[in-house]
Amino acid sequence: MKKHFWVFFIVMLLVLLPFTVWSKGQQEKGAVKLTIAGRDGGYGKAMQLAVDEYSALHPDVSFEVLKLPGASLYEKVVIDMKNSVGTYDLIMIDDPVATQFQKAGWLANLDDLFKKSGKSLDSDIISTAVKLGRYPYADNGALYALPHVGNVELFAYRKDIFNKLGLSKPAKWDDVLADAKMIKQSEPDVYGVVFRGVKGNPIVAGFLPIYWAFGAKVLKNGKPALDSPQALNALNFFLKLKEYAPKGVAMYNSAQVKDALYGGKAGIVTEVWPSWVPKLNDPNESLVVNKVEVTTHPGEVEKSSPMIGVWLLGIPKASKHHGTAFDFLLYITGKEMQVKMADEFGIAPTRDSVYKVSKLISKYPWYPVQAAALKNAVGRPRTTKWSELENIFGTYLQLALIGSMNAQDALKEANAKMTEVLE
Amino acid sequence: MNNNYYLKRNIKNNSFYYMIFLPAFVVIVFLTVYPIFNVFHMSFFKYNYLSDTKKFFGFTNFIRIITDRLFQKSFINTIIFSAAATFAEVGIGLFLALLFYGFFKGKRLFMITIIFPMMISTMVICSIWKTLYHYDIGLFNYILKSIGLHPVGWLINPKMALFSVIIVDIWQWTPFAFIILQAGLNTIPGEIFEAASIDGANYYKTIKLITLPILFNQILLVILLRTIDTFRIFGKVYALTQGGPGNATETVTYYVYREGFTYFNLGRASTASIYILIVISLISVLYIRNIMREEK
Repeated sequence: MKKHFWVFFIVMLLVLLPFTVWSKGQQEKGAVKLTIAGRDGGYGKAMQLAVDEYSALHPDVSFEVLKLPGASLYEKVVIDMKNSVGTYDLIMIDDPVATQFQKAGWLANLDDLFKKSGKSLDSDIISTAVKLGRYPYADNGALYALPHVGNVELFAYRKDIFNKLGLSKPAKWDDVLADAKMIKQSEPDVYGVVFRGVKGNPIVAGFLPIYWAFGAKVLKNGKPALDSPQALNALNFFLKLKEYAPKGVAMYNSAQVKDALYGGKAGIVTEVWPSWVPKLNDPNESLVVNKVEVTTHPGEVEKSSPMIGVWLLGIPKASKHHGTAFDFLLYITGKEMQVKMADEFGIAPTRDSVYKVSKLISKYPWYPVQAAALKNAVGRPRTTKWSELENIFGTYLQLALIGSMNAQDALKEANAKMTEVLE
Repeated sequence: MNNNYYLKRNIKNNSFYYMIFLPAFVVIVFLTVYPIFNVFHMSFFKYNYLSDTKKFFGFTNFIRIITDRLFQKSFINTIIFSAAATFAEVGIGLFLALLFYGFFKGKRLFMITIIFPMMISTMVICSIWKTLYHYDIGLFNYILKSIGLHPVGWLINPKMALFSVIIVDIWQWTPFAFIILQAGLNTIPGEIFEAASIDGANYYKTIKLITLPILFNQILLVILLRTIDTFRIFGKVYALTQGGPGNATETVTYYVYREGFTYFNLGRASTASIYILIVISLISVLYIRNIMREEK
């Protein structure tokens, strides 16, 4: 019996020994390895570019970059930061969820890191974007994240069709409706208007510039305000607009909207993000080279209300490499890297000076408009419950869009559900 | 006293085997038993993981979840999905197994082809089907339009969307039923069929009186496995519709996912998970009892 035990013990020891040796070797390398939790697609490619260039300058720093879809990124970083595991040294944060992370105290205070490094925040970074990284959400709030992608929602229309039909740039949403109707009547192969109709975030993001322009608010004094006459007007308008959209618009997400835009199928696109249009004037990718005007949204009772949707970069408090992560953060948000990322991958800059680089303006003629939109953009409500509120809003908007509910009932029920969540 | 003595002797004699078994036992306890107890525990709390607020809630979560219209809708959708997909997959799988019983030229190629959908990742399958189902540019509507019929809102019509998701599941998992039943068929000795033929039984009688009764256990097993799997449907809903349009394709696992991993309301997510666990356990017990009775 004893013999059996010792044989078993020695076998187990031999199995485990190589692991400890390997682990020890890993610890003794001495180099810093930064783990970044970021987004996939173009954002991932841009991050890789920055990582490769930084590694070339700093051979002692290596990287592991996780390129994840939005939902997966959110899950992973929440679980990691909540348990103070410290797996990630830098994380990409969608601006509406930043409030959750900041309130929970999961992010390192960048003001402290600036102080420690003897550097200061560059005033070239557009202040509306910087403010999203502050908590409390105010110009003097403590800084927990820096803007990495200066996304702002834009509006696009086919200027060749508008010229042909004698239309001018729509100043109000009512003009958009009339223009969409005319396009549908005169251009049989082109949809009057295209937007995202998938429930949840996509439909909400597409609808908010209309909603705000009609003078409606999502939250008023911290309480849901979807039961207002302004909200009803906005949704009724949205449903009228749908008449000139593709029949399947309820399942349109970014890919379908981009296909319609690049394929020359969309007369008006009410929601365009900078990352969707970098190749709009590339004849290899687009059928509408120099035919699309990318501009700001029209207003209605309120002025144009483009939605800001910045991707921020923050350093988790539990990270063991605050210094190196901060250095890389300054590098990736610096002017030189922003110009490269914008040029190669169409990543929206967050620095004012980058929008003035002539090489970029000739490639993206809408840059002056985009910069102006970013400076005047409206942020989504700063609440820790935004994911739930957005999902409720997005579900009922889609129910109205597909005709399962009328506008009034949809808003009333959404309002009641939101109230339940906030109680 | 006597029993105690035998118990101690038994433990002493087998201590080496218990020791070997111990690590696996610990792993099972930590990975299976502990999480289940933890989920039960959390279901009695109003617990938000993000804000770290945890308050004893008694049975309130259970009452709120069962009376939540979205959960009810999700539950009904799941039952419809599970029943329809399982029935179709086992039915078509059985039909194919009977059709392709025995040896024929090209059987190997056919077998490889038929298991292909099972080997592809669900996300890839969903991307393909999403394109096929697209209202404006999808292949299905293109065919319908080209023969003068109206296009169908495969994923945008609330009455159609769940059915469309079921079709994708049938396409992916019918091969699984086919393979298990085909293997079961191959274990039936050929002499039985020869004897039936000599006794004058025709093809349909042979299937009804010989093949199906012998295959009964395999059919039950496939039904059990597919019911459990379809009841946990998540990937296809996530990739094809995200529960939409409206709430037309919401399922219980998607409900749990959203509560747990989007809102991080772990109390509510745990309660909903317990409802799923209860239903799956009941279904499993029902099938397993049947299978064991047959074995006796």
